[in-house]
Amino acid sequence: MKMTRRIAVMCALGLCLSAGRIAHAASTPADAELQTGLTKAPTTADLQKGDPGGSITGTINDVPIGDTKAGITSVDVANQVGQNKVAVNFVWTLVTGFLVMFMQAGFAMVEAGLCRVKNANHTYMMNFMVYACGLFAYWVIGFCIQMGGAAGNGNLGGLQSLVGEHTLSFFGQSWGIFGQSGMFLAGHTYDVGVMVIFLFEMVFMDTALTIVTGACAERWKFATFFVSSVLMGAFTYPLYGNWAWGGGWLSQLGVNAGLGKGYCDFAGSGVVHAVGGLSALACSLILGPRIGKFNKDGSSNAIIGHDISAVLIGCFILAFGWFGFNPGSTLGASAAGCLRIGSIAVNTMLAGCTGTFGAVLYMWSLKGKPDASMSGNGLLAGLVAITAPSGFVSTAGAAIIGLVAGVLVCLSVTFIENVMKVDDPVGAISVHGTCGLWGVISVGLLADGTSNYGGSWNGVTGSVTGLFYGDSSQLVAQLIGCATLIGIVFSLTFVINWVLEILMGQRVSIETEVAGLDIPEMGQLGYPEFVFKPEPEILLAANEAALA
Amino acid sequence: MAANKQQGSSITLFLLGFTAAGAGYAGFGGGISKAILAVGLLLLAFAFWRFFSIKPLEGKVALKSQPAVVKLAGLAINIAGWLIVVFSVHITKSVGGRMAGAILGILVSLLSLVVVLPSACNKNAIWK
Repeated sequence: MKMTRRIAVMCALGLCLSAGRIAHAASTPADAELQTGLTKAPTTADLQKGDPGGSITGTINDVPIGDTKAGITSVDVANQVGQNKVAVNFVWTLVTGFLVMFMQAGFAMVEAGLCRVKNANHTYMMNFMVYACGLFAYWVIGFCIQMGGAAGNGNLGGLQSLVGEHTLSFFGQSWGIFGQSGMFLAGHTYDVGVMVIFLFEMVFMDTALTIVTGACAERWKFATFFVSSVLMGAFTYPLYGNWAWGGGWLSQLGVNAGLGKGYCDFAGSGVVHAVGGLSALACSLILGPRIGKFNKDGSSNAIIGHDISAVLIGCFILAFGWFGFNPGSTLGASAAGCLRIGSIAVNTMLAGCTGTFGAVLYMWSLKGKPDASMSGNGLLAGLVAITAPSGFVSTAGAAIIGLVAGVLVCLSVTFIENVMKVDDPVGAISVHGTCGLWGVISVGLLADGTSNYGGSWNGVTGSVTGLFYGDSSQLVAQLIGCATLIGIVFSLTFVINWVLEILMGQRVSIETEVAGLDIPEMGQLGYPEFVFKPEPEILLAANEAALA
Repeated sequence: MAANKQQGSSITLFLLGFTAAGAGYAGFGGGISKAILAVGLLLLAFAFWRFFSIKPLEGKVALKSQPAVVKLAGLAINIAGWLIVVFSVHITKSVGGRMAGAILGILVSLLSLVVVLPSACNKNAIWK
């Protein structure tokens, strides 16, 4: 009797346990379906036969199971979906960042090609070294200032460790001024998502720094360029970058002051190009013009570059890299409007195309020749101008923006040289400064209100819309951004470089400038086996006068 | 005298000082982070002192003095333009008023950028 009772209890216990296990293993119909699917998935024996068509690779077998006792559940699948989204966005952002890094080569070729052969080594070296100077400064403190408070980007996993925006209170509102997390990418910012955004933002910063080297070429002391670039990468660029992209006050103009969606700059006409161009203007003013650039009566002399092929090939490298610059600024290819990457890429191409047309046709019609160097600058002008509006405009808008930029760059080069009497060997101030400002303004005019990056921009619900599509307040926000670029960024760079002029001296000696910077500054010619042609008479005369 | 060893060592000191100052400011080293910051700032100061002491070795440059007062005035006008823009956002709520303030402020800043500062920097230009 006792034995029978014991057996009955044990059987009952066994039945309860197995029922519970079955219930736990398939707690929902979806989970049950998943587990059924797992049993029908390709087996190891199937895979050992090879899969030339790819039809049995990548299946339910590849979904990691969180609890092997429970088996595969819908939670496992949801986790994998989330990870896939972030992984796709990581790869997209990193690869486009690699493209932008390669633009350094393009800038180097354009700038060196537009300079004289005696300065080739020095010009190439400035573009080479600026990468290291900027990256180091950005790692130490620049990234912290710019993105230290930029938590909340859903594309890259949230970036939640970037919490720490220093704010000031004005007129009853809180305004972001600079970030406070991320120096040396240490501590809680040693994070997979933060690494991705660091790389992407760093290559943008480096583009801004390299612009200055073009305007200051052929007379800038290498040591001063070095220190100036470190300071710009550490402070000047990141400050404006925070205000526009890091949650700072410019981006908050929509939330705090009802001005459109705040200052909008999709990929950096303002943050990168206008910062670079206006900094270039500040440095050029302090450096002064090259010997022989201007005559006593104020008229200017053309100082021809030594390698137009390098210039045009460099422009194409830049155009290629711009496919990383603009489309990459979605920071992802999955979710939150990221499928607009094709539209952004086409806008970029079109603006470059019409920018080229604008410059070529202007020069051909008014000066008689389709000038090659201005054509290259026209392409770049269009690309610079479309950078801010690329995510917000239609193809027609992009074409118009590029065309205006192509003509604007020609007018600006003439104005800066002949009216302001500022020497800019490569046209960097016009291409990046003038056309960068035009790009910022064009968002406020031509943003068509059809983009949708998660239903809002800068914390304001809706789509970025410009004046011609019904929102004049957006133009006001853009103008405030322009005013900040001109009033604050230019002034800050001017002051920093004025101090460096006092402490270090910005310019090489007259003997060095006349001889060419390659040997005195770099110790080696850029083309040691070339026989150099003498410079034009007018430049030789100016050199002699300077040496006397 | 162009690039030289003193420049190279001064640049090295500058980078070391910049890194140490950054590490100290970031709080690395726990209790001694303030000391690291102080060391970094000292190195920076020393580096700039060295740059200043070797500056005359460069020789004569094609750049004469630029009037400091005019340059300061130019900067002040430039920043004043920005202040006009920023304050116009708070003085009026109307889009038209803010637009007018923004355009006025930008024009004031451009006056400095296009006229005042270039004339100051070119006053004693080598080509004159």
